[in-house]
Amino acid sequence: MAVTEQQQQAFIGKHLAEAQVAVELQDEDMVLNIGPQHPATHGTLRVVVKLDGERVVAADPVIGYMHRGYEKLTEYRSYPQVTTLINRIDWLSSFANEVPFIHAGEQIMGIEAPPRAVYIRTVLTELSRIATFLLFLGEMGAQVGAITPVFYGFRDREYVLNLIEAATGGRFHPNFNRIGGLKDDVPAGWIAETRRMMDKVFESCDTFENLLEGNEIFLARTKGIGIIPGDVGKGYGVSGSNLRASGVDWDLRRDAPYLAYPEVDFKVWTHPGGDSWSRYWVRLQETREAARIVVDLLDRLPSGPVMAKVPRIIKVPPGESWVRVENPLGEMGYYVVSKGATGPFRVKIRSASFSNVSILPWLLKGVYVPDLITILASLYFILGDIDR
Amino acid sequence: MPDDDLTDAEEPAAAEEPAAADEPAAEEPAILPEHVGMLAKLQADLGDALVEAVSNHGDLVVRVRNDAWHAAALAARSRLDCEYLSFISGIDWTSRPDPPNWDPDAPSSPVQPKEVTYGAAGSDGRFQVFAVVESTDDKIQVILKTDVDEADPHVASWTDVYPGADWHERECWEMFGVRFDGHPSLRHIYLPGEFEGHPLRKDFPLLSREVKPWPGLVDVEAMPGGAGEEAGDETAEAVAEGGE
Amino acid sequence: MGLVEQGKIPKPLTWLMNYSRKYSLWMYQWGLACCAIEMGAALASPRYDMMRLGVIPFPASPRQADLIVVSGTLTDKMAPALKRLYEQMPDPKYVISMGSCANCGGPYWDSYSVTKGVDQIIPVDVYIPGCPPRPEALLQGVVLLQERIQNEEMGPRWRGEPIIVGQPGAHDHLPETAVAVSSA
Repeated sequence: MAVTEQQQQAFIGKHLAEAQVAVELQDEDMVLNIGPQHPATHGTLRVVVKLDGERVVAADPVIGYMHRGYEKLTEYRSYPQVTTLINRIDWLSSFANEVPFIHAGEQIMGIEAPPRAVYIRTVLTELSRIATFLLFLGEMGAQVGAITPVFYGFRDREYVLNLIEAATGGRFHPNFNRIGGLKDDVPAGWIAETRRMMDKVFESCDTFENLLEGNEIFLARTKGIGIIPGDVGKGYGVSGSNLRASGVDWDLRRDAPYLAYPEVDFKVWTHPGGDSWSRYWVRLQETREAARIVVDLLDRLPSGPVMAKVPRIIKVPPGESWVRVENPLGEMGYYVVSKGATGPFRVKIRSASFSNVSILPWLLKGVYVPDLITILASLYFILGDIDR
Repeated sequence: MPDDDLTDAEEPAAAEEPAAADEPAAEEPAILPEHVGMLAKLQADLGDALVEAVSNHGDLVVRVRNDAWHAAALAARSRLDCEYLSFISGIDWTSRPDPPNWDPDAPSSPVQPKEVTYGAAGSDGRFQVFAVVESTDDKIQVILKTDVDEADPHVASWTDVYPGADWHERECWEMFGVRFDGHPSLRHIYLPGEFEGHPLRKDFPLLSREVKPWPGLVDVEAMPGGAGEEAGDETAEAVAEGGE
Repeated sequence: MGLVEQGKIPKPLTWLMNYSRKYSLWMYQWGLACCAIEMGAALASPRYDMMRLGVIPFPASPRQADLIVVSGTLTDKMAPALKRLYEQMPDPKYVISMGSCANCGGPYWDSYSVTKGVDQIIPVDVYIPGCPPRPEALLQGVVLLQERIQNEEMGPRWRGEPIIVGQPGAHDHLPETAVAVSSA
């Protein structure tokens, strides 16, 4: 070996110096507190991150700033009052929140809603999915610095909200479901109007595609960022579009059929990427698919009553039931335990965002601070759905 | 006659259910055919630690002994391929003391039966921890339950089997006071650190309910200076006529 | 501006300054729950377009804001943060409480973790009822606040004195509608 002693010492010295620099840098970890009131967290999520330069070393999401105690409050309320309450869990798709709870009640009581009610429920669920995702598409642009999509998102969402309002009387919190059916039938002319609006939804999906997918900044900020492998996502209970964007072919609308979904032919979109871009892309496709489902169902809307025969005062017999559905944000379920009273004994609410966000400590390790914001945006959570 | 309709509708619902919900081990098949295979696989791993199993509204409910809770997670994950954790939560089976001012006749103030009864697959005592795991490949799910000692509620943690169990167990600890042995950091998740008590225990009172009745109970408040006072009668009549 | 604090501004100048202030409200969005989406719709949606009222929703920090809109459920865990950010705002400052939860706790009136009304933490100028209020209701609330600003004495507000609602004679100078809705 022709390494002189001098060379050897120089080598050791250089590495020592480097090691020392690394140690010094490591000592200067900075703790950055994001939230609880921050525009990028869609509300009141707080994330405490430890930074090494621009890189996140550890992240600890602090939740509970929107904890309203639903599970306790349901024990003090009767079934119709609970429906009013649970509207407000995931406030972007309120109608979809009601469905699993009503199903659980109907399952224990052993009654079934008439076919027309089931179809209208399905249509309204898909409409709330469209409303949620249109806002997502707008917000996703906003979080990478494009302000225009937000305006389009809010504009197009109004069309859908108008439809929901015309049918249910509420823009936001319809409270339209009853155990045994629906409060009312849809008004005259609503079906034609909905068909017309679905064309606008397709148009606006194209608009978003043109605005975002050709945009190099958008691609650079989302492609390959925040990758969730499918099996890790499953262990954390990540569900819905987030899981499908990781290549897991799992959609409760098809795999655990409920409402009128068995009678609809629709495609479950997946993407093998698992990154922020895949999550955006899957939601864009699902918006279109939802509009297709709506049009398809409206063509075949059965006639008949919208309410089954139920007693005026709802008393659910003793029993328990676990019902889960595919909400816009993911798997939402209610574990309802009844002891025969006018109100539930215990309601466990399984909300999608809670599990979707619980992956953050794993996911945010090693990402850069600006990417943190896009990852949060692409996971798409609602604070009420996390904290309940 | 609307009243007749109502009674007609009420009876079948009341007649069908209790058999399925109250006595799972009754003469009708307690386990659906599609659940037999799943149950056999779990039974092979858990042996006599599997206390009871029942099919409830199309879901397999399995109750295991407290010391086999961790083994149950491993069995579900390895034998049934249930890689997906839906949730972990708890339940308190005791009856809730009704708040003062509670009007038991009003349908809006539900009165729960005072005797303690248990749900599907039964229970040994007051607290239970239950969880749902699913298989995204085979499209199946299992509801797992275990009993927890009332005096010293604790059970093994699932965090090493399902990483997502972390938050669910923190929530369950906060809400019911059930300790999860082996959990890395059991601290408050929703409530501020100084919060006392476990809200979802049935004996945790809602203080607002203690001090005043439900404000929505009164449909229409009497107008100030309304009926019975001076000109009040005339206006009340006028309103009634206008209303008709 | 010592003159302003002492309330020694000539009337036409007061009118002019109030007029300018009411049409350049920098608004800090304190979006908490469902109402935040309706607030977003009022601000970002072309249909409602709140900016035409002179409300500018982009201050990055409460230190630059004149107006704070608390929209949604305030929990006990969040309350200290709200108080802290409110105290960071420079006087004169205004608060709009949007939605039933912010007004009084709303459907969570019996919850163990919800603050029963923002006014327990900070003083409120305008309450907007509804669950959630429509964006039009928020616009109406802003218009009412602007009426209040137009008609107010500048001295006390500049000194940071709280407005005492319900004091006899406190609202005499306001149009009747403003009083009825704002103290409802």
